[in-house]
Amino acid sequence: MNKILLIIKREYLTKVRKKTFIISTLLFPLLYLGLIFGIGYLGEKSKKNLTVAVVDSSGYFDAGRIARANGKDSSSVLVLTNMKVDSLKENLGATSFDAFVVIPAIDDWKNGLRNIPLQADKTLGMETAMPVQSKLNNIWGEIKNEKLGISDSTINQLESSQVTIKPVNINDENADSKIAGTIGYVAGFLIYFILLIYGSQVMMGVMEEKTNRIAEVIVSSVKPFQLMLGKILGIGLVALTQFFLWIAFIFIVYNVTKASGAGDSVSGMVGGVQKVFSSINVPLVLFCFVFYFLGGFFFYSSLYAAIGSAVNEDMREAQSLSFPVTMLVIFSIALMSMAMNDPTGPIAVWGSIIPFSSPIVMMARIPYGVPGTVPWWHLGLSMALLIAGFVFTTWFAGKIYRTGILMYGKKPTWKELIKWAFRKN
Amino acid sequence: MPLLELQNLKKYFATQKAVDDISLSIEPGSIFGLLGPNGAGKTTLIRMITGIFYPDEGQIIFDGKKFDPVNDIGRIGYMPEERGLYKKMKIGEQTLYLAQLKGLTRSDATKKIKEWFIRFEMESWWNKKVEDLSKGMQQKLQFVTTVLHEPKLIILDEPFSGLDPVNSNLIKEEIYKLAQSGTTVIFSTHRMEQVEEICSQIVLVNKGQKILDGTVKEVKQNFKENLFSIGVNQLPGSLNGNSPFEVVGNKEQAFVVRIKAGSKPNDVLQYLLQQGSEIHSFNEILPSLNDIFIKLVEGTPTARQFQQVNN
Repeated sequence: MNKILLIIKREYLTKVRKKTFIISTLLFPLLYLGLIFGIGYLGEKSKKNLTVAVVDSSGYFDAGRIARANGKDSSSVLVLTNMKVDSLKENLGATSFDAFVVIPAIDDWKNGLRNIPLQADKTLGMETAMPVQSKLNNIWGEIKNEKLGISDSTINQLESSQVTIKPVNINDENADSKIAGTIGYVAGFLIYFILLIYGSQVMMGVMEEKTNRIAEVIVSSVKPFQLMLGKILGIGLVALTQFFLWIAFIFIVYNVTKASGAGDSVSGMVGGVQKVFSSINVPLVLFCFVFYFLGGFFFYSSLYAAIGSAVNEDMREAQSLSFPVTMLVIFSIALMSMAMNDPTGPIAVWGSIIPFSSPIVMMARIPYGVPGTVPWWHLGLSMALLIAGFVFTTWFAGKIYRTGILMYGKKPTWKELIKWAFRKN
Repeated sequence: MPLLELQNLKKYFATQKAVDDISLSIEPGSIFGLLGPNGAGKTTLIRMITGIFYPDEGQIIFDGKKFDPVNDIGRIGYMPEERGLYKKMKIGEQTLYLAQLKGLTRSDATKKIKEWFIRFEMESWWNKKVEDLSKGMQQKLQFVTTVLHEPKLIILDEPFSGLDPVNSNLIKEEIYKLAQSGTTVIFSTHRMEQVEEICSQIVLVNKGQKILDGTVKEVKQNFKENLFSIGVNQLPGSLNGNSPFEVVGNKEQAFVVRIKAGSKPNDVLQYLLQQGSEIHSFNEILPSLNDIFIKLVEGTPTARQFQQVNN
């Protein structure tokens, strides 16, 4: 036991003192925030507000209506013009217009206006073109109302009286499915990243010990199983440390922003966080996160350790052998996104109970509420099966590891690995 | 009472009888040479003694009791042929870690490491990394990590490979000192001249079986071919049929002769004196271990063939 502690300590200290750990701990939240804001910013920037010339042959699209429509929303600008279609076509680049529409003469307003070409000197995307359509519809709506003799007050009544719905869970009145969905999504993805990144760290660590031949020195002092377990636990602690540092980081940022006081965006954010706290069971979610993170980590990293012990220094061997294991993790993420759409459906339920996918899928379900969405027995069964699952994979991996760590030469197949696991000493 | 006794040890792998019924015993304080060609089963044998492998059959008796890997490996030091250290770890920390894994307390280990580092002029290495060391320096470090916890049994697999003569001698001296203080050393190698120089007892294994066992002296006696080197001014012109020897060679004013069966060295001297030869020297030529090794191993395929093992 004492020796396992020594191994854990070495593993933990060497990893935590590495520059890559410090950098990745600091950089990941920044990258994450950068990604979220960056995408929003870029999306905002790439959206273009079109200025569109309107050539009206119908007489309906007059300057007054166009000015009113421009006043209502600014996502595109319509300008009534007297220019001829031919000269517009030829000189569009020289004008201040991005595109133009020609409104034909209208025989019967009831037929509407269909497939009016929005002509431009380049191909316009749907997202850019849609505001023009909705603006023209705005004007068209005004024309229709006039034709039908509907007054402004009637229009207001029509618009303000509507039916909307809001999903409410009768077991959990506070649950907000939007917040729960976001939390679940983030938690599921975080576990996914941790499994892949730290799982492969375990694999690389084992490969390093094997190719350095230090493994043979160490297994003459401790049992191979102790060496493997020490490595897994040590790296697991590193991952946990990183996670808690992030939580602390969020906490500090939150309190600093809160203390910095006024400002609409600050109070909006503080209010948002308070809303999150009131709508989900934070201690339970946090506890489950740590549980599923550790359970999933043990489940997968022992398999990665077994693979690391079986291959030689060649990275490609390791990749091809670890492919099925990595596929399981990726498959779990696919299950999770299906479960997000229907957190009580059969895929969500089974995905969150079967050990290989439960760490990711269950984490996506839990924020929706326990026992509202996830009955206690689901959670209990899922946890028990995950424990049984990682006890099994650790045992299985230990058997492979014991043989693999001292075996040099040809890369074994999965069939051979399974044979190693089930033969007697 | 022997420190280590192997009784009918067997270890079969899927395609090889790696160790096939080997028994031997090693006295405390002796330097024991474990010899054999590549793939003879030496590493497998050593791995069973270090508790890495369990034997399929047979028993290991360590220090009078049945070998119990969990408790006994703290009293064994093993330096494998393929050296292994963490490349990126600081040398002081690494040595401390390996010593603690062998069961030493932190303070005890620190004290001992400092002693050894001073003895081997390695004090300035403490905060360096293994990757900064040359191959020979790594070798010295590996030796220190092997003997640091004062094991009763030390197993060294090719300890001198990659060392210059000065450092070889340094380690050789340490091995002698350890043996004198009662430590038993198992020394595995193919370098016969080192075995002749260092070992008191040897075992030769080939194809998983023991084919030779004894002290270096005994082995040489057993394999002697009754060859003598005689330094004379002149051999008798013609040897008649009843001379007790035949000449097999001549080098540097000395003749190499083989004494015929039934005759003794004294008969040779007598014969030569009677013939009036003047004798300067008369030496027995014993075979070198190298010759014996080659003679015994020759004829068997140089590489072990794979075979089906039924077990």
